[in-house]
Amino acid sequence: MLVIKNLDVAYGHAKVLHDVSLDIEKGETAFFIGRNGAGKTTLLKTIIGLLKPQKGSITYQGQEISSLSPEELYLKGLRYVAQEKKVFGNLTVQENIEIAAYASQEPLERALDKVMSIYPKLEGFLKTKAGQLSGGQRQILLVGRSLVGDPKLLLIDEPTQGLAAIVIEEIVNILTGLKDQVSAVIVEQNLAMVNRLADRIYVLKEGKVAREIINKSEISDTKGLEEYL
Amino acid sequence: MIYTIVYGLTIGAILYFISIGLSLTFGAMRVINFAHTLTYTIGVYVLITLVNFFKWCFPLGAILAILAVIPIGYIIERFIIRRLYGESLDYTFIATFAIALIGVDAIKWIWSVRPYPISDPIGKYLLFWGLSLPIYRIVIVMIAIILFFALNIFFKKTIVGKIVVAALEDKDGVRCLGVNVDKYFSIVFILGSALAALGGVLYAPIGSVHPYMGLSVLLLSFAVVIVGGMGNLNGTFLSAFALGMVMSITARYWSQGAETMVFIVMAIVLIFKPIDI
Amino acid sequence: MDEDKASLNKPTELPEELRKKPIIERGAIDLMAIAIFFLLITPLLSVHRVTDFMIFCIFAMSFDLLYGYMGRLSFGQMLYLGTGAYCCGLFIKYIGGNPLLAISIGIAFAGMLAMLLGLIIVRTTGACFALINLAFNHIGFFLVLSPLREITRGEDGFGVSASKLGVLNFGSRPIMFGFVLLCLLLVYYCLRRLTSSPYGILIRSIKEDETRVRFLGYNTFLYKWFTFILAGAIAGLAGSLTALNYNYVNPNAMDVHSNVGVVFACLIGGAGNLYGAILGGVIYMVISNFLPIYIYRWEMFLGFSLLIIVFRFRMGVWGYIQRFWEYTIKRKVVPRLMKKEAI
Repeated sequence: MLVIKNLDVAYGHAKVLHDVSLDIEKGETAFFIGRNGAGKTTLLKTIIGLLKPQKGSITYQGQEISSLSPEELYLKGLRYVAQEKKVFGNLTVQENIEIAAYASQEPLERALDKVMSIYPKLEGFLKTKAGQLSGGQRQILLVGRSLVGDPKLLLIDEPTQGLAAIVIEEIVNILTGLKDQVSAVIVEQNLAMVNRLADRIYVLKEGKVAREIINKSEISDTKGLEEYL
Repeated sequence: MIYTIVYGLTIGAILYFISIGLSLTFGAMRVINFAHTLTYTIGVYVLITLVNFFKWCFPLGAILAILAVIPIGYIIERFIIRRLYGESLDYTFIATFAIALIGVDAIKWIWSVRPYPISDPIGKYLLFWGLSLPIYRIVIVMIAIILFFALNIFFKKTIVGKIVVAALEDKDGVRCLGVNVDKYFSIVFILGSALAALGGVLYAPIGSVHPYMGLSVLLLSFAVVIVGGMGNLNGTFLSAFALGMVMSITARYWSQGAETMVFIVMAIVLIFKPIDI
Repeated sequence: MDEDKASLNKPTELPEELRKKPIIERGAIDLMAIAIFFLLITPLLSVHRVTDFMIFCIFAMSFDLLYGYMGRLSFGQMLYLGTGAYCCGLFIKYIGGNPLLAISIGIAFAGMLAMLLGLIIVRTTGACFALINLAFNHIGFFLVLSPLREITRGEDGFGVSASKLGVLNFGSRPIMFGFVLLCLLLVYYCLRRLTSSPYGILIRSIKEDETRVRFLGYNTFLYKWFTFILAGAIAGLAGSLTALNYNYVNPNAMDVHSNVGVVFACLIGGAGNLYGAILGGVIYMVISNFLPIYIYRWEMFLGFSLLIIVFRFRMGVWGYIQRFWEYTIKRKVVPRLMKKEAI
C-alpha cells in the first residue's frame, strides 16, 4: 500500500533521512521506533507532504505521492496526527470536528457519530473549547478527527507521549478497535503498545532504517526491542 | 472635553478599520505588509475622483471605491505576498515596502501631488448638552461598532471564519485536514484591504488627502496591531480606540506630539511583551 | 597526480605562495583598491558629490554590521546618524569650533544612545527589532523638531562652521574629501579585522542560530549589545561628517524615510560583506542623485528594482562577483597556474 524507496530528506543543508526504504501492506499497523532525533517525525511529515524529499520516491496505492500537498493527500485517505497533541484550542470540540468534516464534505452528524463511536464520553465535551481538554482527551479527539471522511492510512506521531497509564490503555484499546478499518503507521517509544498492536516494526537509527521486523515472536520480545531506544 | 472624546473615538474607529487587515495578515501569514495602506490611499483617491469629478454622491462613491480596491488587493496577494510565505522577515519587509513605493509613485503619477479636499458628506451637527457634534464622526464610530459585531459573528459562526481561526493557531493542522488554507488567507487579505479602503474613504472628509497619507497611518496601525496583539481582533478593537484616545488627548495638550505618544506606547509594549516573528 | 587530488578535494584552497601572505598585506591591497576607486570616480562627478557618497558608504557599513553580519534589520538607523550630526553641530555651535573634538562628541553621543537603547532593543529580533528601532527613530525625529526646538532650531536647522585645526580646514572641499576618505578606510579596516576575528565569526553564528551559540556558553546578549553600540557609533561618525560636509544640520538628518536608502544599498550591494556595503552605497547614491534627472518616476523604478532583487537577485552585485571568482577563476585559472609551475 505504501512503498518508500531510497528516500533522502534534508532540512536546508542538514540531511536527516538517508536512503530510507520501506514497505507497508494494506490492513497492517506498522510502527517506527528509534531514539529521539532518529528521523521518525521527519519521515511521517514527508509522507504527508509537509516536507519534500531531496531524492527517492513515495508510492501510495501505486501512485507517486512525494510531490503532492497535504490537502491533496487528505482526499486520498491519508491522515496525519502530529506530536504535541495540537488541537484547535480556540474552537470547541464540535467545531474541531466540523472543520474535519468540511474538506471531506461529510455531513456533520455522521462525522460526530464516527468520533463518538470510538469515545462516547466525548459527547459531554462537544461545546467545550478544545484547548481546555486534558492531554489524553486531546489525543483521542485528534484520532477521532482523523476518522472523519474516508480514512485509509493513519500516520500518528507518539500518541502516548506524556500520558498516564490509564489513558494510554484507553488509547491502545481505541487503536486496537480500528485495526480492521484502517491501516496505520505509528511512531512510538512505548514498547508495550508496540507489542500489542504491531504487525511490522521499522527501527530507525540516525536517519536510516536499521532493521525491519515482521516476525511475530520478535515483535513480542520487548527486551530485544529496548536496545533500539 | 467631549470633543476630545468624540475625536478620539473617531480616530480610533478609522484606525480599527485599517488595522484589522494588518492584524490578520500579521497573524496569519507572518508577513509584515508595508503595502497594506496602499489600498487605503487608493480608495480615497478613487472616491475623490468619483465625487468631485463625476459628481457622484458620497455613499455610492464610497462603496464603489472600496470595490475598486479589491482587484488591486488580489493582485498584490497573488503575485507578491503569496511568494513571501515562509520567507525570512527582511525580504517580506523589503518586498512589501517596494510595492508601497511603486504604488505611491503611481498615485502621484495619476493624480499628482496636489491635495484634494473633500467635504463632510453629512454636514449636520448634533446638539448635545450645548455642544454641537458633527454627526458624521458619530456615524463613523457607529460603523466601527457594527463592524466589530459583524466580524465577531463571521469568525465565530461561519465555517470560513472558523477555518481562519483554526489556521491562525495551527496552519499545518488545518492543511492536514484537507483544507487549502492559502485560499482562505487570500480572502482574509483581500477583506483586510477592502476594510482599509473603508477607513480611508471615511477619513477623507475629516483629514488631509495626499499620496503619502498611507505611510503616515501605516506606522500608527502597526502600533495598534502590536499593542492589541497580532491576529487578535478583539484586542485590535480595544487598542485602536485606546490609541485613538491617546492621540486625541495628547493633541489637546501638546498638539504635535500625538503620533509620537503612540510610538512611545508601542515601544513600551514591545519592551515588556516582545513579539516573536 | 597530487595536484589533481588537491583540486578535486579542496578546490578553493590557494596555492602555497599566496596563502603565506600576511593579513596586513592583504588588507593593504583592499584599502588601496577602495581609495583608488574613489579617487578615480572623482573627476567624473564632483569632489563634493563623492564626499557625499563616501559618507553614505560609512553609514551603509554601520547598517550592514547589524543586518548582514548580525542578521537584524533595523528600520531606524538614521536615529544614530542624526544624533551624531546634531551633537557634532551643536558642539561647534555652542561650545567650541574644534572639528575633531566635535566629531568625537558626535560619535560618543551616538554610541551612548545606542548603549542605552540597546539594552532594551537588542533583546528583540525580527519584526520587533525593526519596528522598535523605527519607533525610536520617529521619536528622535519628533524631539529635534519640536520640544528641543529652542536648541536645535526645529525645522529650520542651523549652520555649522568648524574652525581650522592646523592643516585641517573642513571648509576646503579637497581636505574634507581626504578626511572622509581616511575615515572610510579606517572604518573599513577596523570592521574587516573585527569581522575576520573570532568575534566576527561569533556574530555570524548568532545570526545563524543564536540558541546554539548560547548553549555553547557565550553571553550572546553582550555580543549583540556591543555590535549595536558599534553600529550606532559608526552611524554617528557618518552623521558628524554630514554636518561638517554640509555646514548645516536639520531634522532631515534623522528622517525615518531615509532608512530605505541604506536598506536598498546593502541589498543591492550584497548584505554581509563590507565590499558589498560600499558598492551598494555607491550604486544607491548614483541612482538617487542621477536617476531623478533622467527618469521622472525614479521611486517607482527603485521599487521595481527592489522587487527584482528580492525575488531573483538575493546575493547582490558583490555576491555575484564573488561567486564568479570562486567558481571560474579559482577553480580553473589558479590550478592551471599551479600546473605551469610544476612543469
